[in-house]
Amino acid sequence: MSDYKIIFSGPVGVGKTTAIGAISDVEPVTTDEQATDMARTQKPGTTVAMDYGMIKLGERERIHLYGTPGQERFDFMWEILTQGGIGLILLVSNNRPDPFHDMHFFLDTFKAFIGNSKVVIGVTQMDLADKPRIEDYHLQLEDSGVKIPIFEVDARMKNDVSLLVEALLYSLDPGLEG
Amino acid sequence: MTKPPSVPIRMAAIGMDQRQRNALRMLFSTKCGNRYVLMEEDSSEICILDLDAFGGERLWEEFRERHPQRPLILVSLRAREASDDFTLFVQKPIPVDRLITAIEHQRRHLSAKNEDVAHLPPLDIQPPLAEQAGQPEIQQPRKQHATRKAASLMSESMERAFVGTSPNIDPKDPEQLAKIYYNPEHYLQGHLQQALNLAVRHNKDIAVEGPWPAIHLFYESRKIRVSAKERQLRPYCTIPDATLEVPLRFLDQEKNSADGAREYSIAAFHWQLALWASRGRLPIGTDLSQPIYLRRWPNFTRLVVTPYALAIAALWAEQPRSLVDTAQTLNIPQRYVFAFYSAAKAIQLAGETRRAVDTLLAPSAVEKSKHHGLLGRLLGRLRGDKEQT
Ligand SMILES: Nc1nc2c(ncn2[C@@H]2O[C@H](COP(=O)(O)OP(=O)(O)OP(=O)(O)O)[C@@H](O)[C@H]2O)c(=O)[nH]1
Ligand SMILES: [Mg+2]
Repeated sequence: MSDYKIIFSGPVGVGKTTAIGAISDVEPVTTDEQATDMARTQKPGTTVAMDYGMIKLGERERIHLYGTPGQERFDFMWEILTQGGIGLILLVSNNRPDPFHDMHFFLDTFKAFIGNSKVVIGVTQMDLADKPRIEDYHLQLEDSGVKIPIFEVDARMKNDVSLLVEALLYSLDPGLEG
Repeated sequence: MTKPPSVPIRMAAIGMDQRQRNALRMLFSTKCGNRYVLMEEDSSEICILDLDAFGGERLWEEFRERHPQRPLILVSLRAREASDDFTLFVQKPIPVDRLITAIEHQRRHLSAKNEDVAHLPPLDIQPPLAEQAGQPEIQQPRKQHATRKAASLMSESMERAFVGTSPNIDPKDPEQLAKIYYNPEHYLQGHLQQALNLAVRHNKDIAVEGPWPAIHLFYESRKIRVSAKERQLRPYCTIPDATLEVPLRFLDQEKNSADGAREYSIAAFHWQLALWASRGRLPIGTDLSQPIYLRRWPNFTRLVVTPYALAIAALWAEQPRSLVDTAQTLNIPQRYVFAFYSAAKAIQLAGETRRAVDTLLAPSAVEKSKHHGLLGRLLGRLRGDKEQT
């Protein structure tokens, strides 16, 4: 049996748990709990430890989908989570106060991991706030010299999440179908 | 060479896009030990101006009006005569050492500013003649292509509409070559481009009306509304000269949209019109051997995704590559590459490289990931799932 990991990360409430649920073969395991300050995030639960989902490939291979908890105080776990990961899916939300800061913060936090693998970025909740635009996110990264896929994503839509994962796979290996 | 000055020379790049600027910035920091820094024109000492930029000649003229004596390095793919003592010409693709030589020359020029500059020795910075790259060889595909089905979520009829069915061509055969081009200006695609230009210039909404279902362009919200279903619109997008003599007009007030109206983002609509017009062909004048750059990844979740589009994007995101080389490297029919390029070009996400480093270095082979097989199986799974929905 071979096991591989894809990591989903991003700030609180951007849709990590939802995205993993959208493509997982198994009922996702989440450690959401009713936080006392839920009024702030306006959703039923926030993930306190991590999310877990899985995609089975035949009998022998599994892709584990791990989601980091959104709340930054759990960052000691991130290092452990990324070990053996094949790539990072970073979700940010247009509906948060400063999504650019969020993006830079997470890219920076995972710098070492990204350096050895690849990252793709999904911008969620653009239906709730249409600005900044996707181009604006690209502009933020223009000086970095790398071209990261950045897609508008609704974490509830399986096709959107799939396409994001596909872009990660092609970034890792453009000749995937050759 | 003179020893590095303690204070870096302040350079500016004129007529260069962000990408070219980044290339220069990288070059200065990695190959030149930060002897030069890139700044805005106002605070710069020496400028590099790309004559091949849009309106390059005018940029040059205006620059000289602003700064009659500022040292300038002109670059272009075509050989030029530099016209005055303060101007040096370097032909592209620019060999790095020639660029450095030119900057250093202009630097001495700087320190000699208050002296008699005419005494500087002439400088030979023409590229050697023998540096002509050979045409890429067309090879037979190494093996059978992956099944179309695995690569595509499109039905065959959709794929025919967006990518066509043209066979591979040999770029050395003029007869075959003639068949792969289309002129976007002759299609509704070109008409839309004009409408966009007009909208930008006047900051107004535009009605693109004719025999086809009405297309309304809302500039502020970057939206397009079409008064009918796609299958009613598409025929007009695939025939040339449907737009002859049909004027654009400003849209004064929002009309009630008819039944079956569809809304698009401008980019998604433009992308789709380009695919329909191109059907696997290329905008006229596209050079098959010139490396193609991808400015940024298209927002694929909100665009028509043609077969292999993600693979092509991933390849170009790493490094510019010619259209013919792209098809070969990915081992896919050329029409998929041509279709994707036509669409990406239409929304200004891709183009032929004009950047020195791109035409200087031959693209490297693609590396297979150590997880190649696994990633392929996961891809198949994600696609398979989607097909069922
Ligand atoms: N309107 C809208 N809602 C979205 C979108 N993406 C996700 N959501 C919703 O956003 C809410 C938050 O999603 P979660 O998956 O719980 O977010 P999370 O990242 O796991 O949050 P934490 O665990 O607290 O870090 C859910 O109600 C989702 O259904 C989107 O694109 N648009
Ligand atoms: Mg969660």
